[in-house]
Amino acid sequence: MNITVAGIGITKFGELWSASPRSLAKIAVEMAIADSGVEKKSIQGLFVANMLAGMLGMQGHLGALFSEELGLSVPAYTVEGACASGGLAVQAGVMSILSGQYDTVVVLGVEKMTDHKPEEVSSALMGAGSNEERLAGATFPGLYAMLARAHMEKFGTTEKQMAAVAVKNHFHASLNPNAQYKNTITVDHVLRSSCIADPLKLLDCSPVTDGAAAIVLTKDTKNKKGVHIIASQIATDTLGLAGRKSLTELSATKQAAQHAFIQAGVGQKDIHLAEVHDCFTIAEILAIEDIGFGKKGEVGREMEHGTYTLGTAPGVVVNSSGGLKGCGHPIGATGVKQIVEITSQLRGTCGKRQVHDAKIGLAHNVGGSGATAVVHILQK
Amino acid sequence: MISPVKIWRNQKHTAKLVGKTGSILVWTIIRVPPEGFSNQAPYPLAVVVLDKGPTITAQVVDWDEKQLHTKQKVITVIRRTIDTTADGVIPYGMKVKPV
Repeated sequence: MNITVAGIGITKFGELWSASPRSLAKIAVEMAIADSGVEKKSIQGLFVANMLAGMLGMQGHLGALFSEELGLSVPAYTVEGACASGGLAVQAGVMSILSGQYDTVVVLGVEKMTDHKPEEVSSALMGAGSNEERLAGATFPGLYAMLARAHMEKFGTTEKQMAAVAVKNHFHASLNPNAQYKNTITVDHVLRSSCIADPLKLLDCSPVTDGAAAIVLTKDTKNKKGVHIIASQIATDTLGLAGRKSLTELSATKQAAQHAFIQAGVGQKDIHLAEVHDCFTIAEILAIEDIGFGKKGEVGREMEHGTYTLGTAPGVVVNSSGGLKGCGHPIGATGVKQIVEITSQLRGTCGKRQVHDAKIGLAHNVGGSGATAVVHILQK
Repeated sequence: MISPVKIWRNQKHTAKLVGKTGSILVWTIIRVPPEGFSNQAPYPLAVVVLDKGPTITAQVVDWDEKQLHTKQKVITVIRRTIDTTADGVIPYGMKVKPV
């Protein structure tokens, strides 16, 4: 593959009451274009990742909306794949260059969630599940709670081990100036937080977040600051949990990761850092196992020993940005933000949270309860 | 939004699933419900393997704590699902009851 991440831009993540989707998009995209050194007039296409604007804000047609706001007047597309919208839009951008249609495109992920009541957001997010799940009164914490219980029953994974994921990701987020949460937490804080869907507690869950992230993709590999995308893969599975062959793995993650490793010609041991989809603590354990960084059923125990934590990890550092849990999860922006984080790490510009000598990174983005998985591998 | 047409269209499918036995594969208790379910919370949710197929996701009703475990036998029943809205349609759907 001959794709370069030429520029990156990101807003602060958090409860940004005074920011509109337009203002968030503008900050992220202008930052990405300035960072790339590409002239604005050279941009030929815009890919917008978003899930909830139609349901919560009654606003569709985001390609045209943001093209206008950004003063780009280029072909523009909206890509939706629930929480994997960002990863899907990155792949759409990659494909548009590989096809020969464009040389330089912008991928923007943006989500504005805090304008709406929590139960409205919760219901809108269930748009990512099946109708049967909605009629049963399911929520995403509820669906992942069932995945957590299945993992606990089969492998003896404990609530403490899951809590260790949140502790690690808050620690990483405390080193990230753009993160929603700068506070470190303890296992006890997680275990004592209120129960959302047994066995998941409030601090096992990623938050409701506003934010935007953008990247400039180009086929120009001479760009010195550039980091290259060497694999881009997507896999899908049944929309609802009930259709799955197994509840102790996300088969879409396994497939997308296997294909990505083949495409990139690298293996798990070659990866220095990974941004994985930790919408809930159990989701990070599943991701690490299903990508193959750790053995199935053992990652919970490893988590308690700092196996994936900055400073103590013997191998891959997971979610140096703080992940969805610590950095925040503005749905459509998340998959693009993962590419922004990996690119910053590979450039060596992450300051206190820099992963030493990082050369290859992996981004893993999931939609719904595992119905879509996207894996990208990036190299310096 | 509740669509009377959608409810009508799905009735045949839902009716076919009533009175089927199965067992709980995995469960949780929803303590923070989505819109339209607040007067029912907290309520258990389960993935249930019906004896003659398929596997479904359903709310558990008429339950007590000791019945929430893997392999608990259940039967499908018709119950009210989500709160009604201004158009007054009362939606019914399938739930499961421990037996």
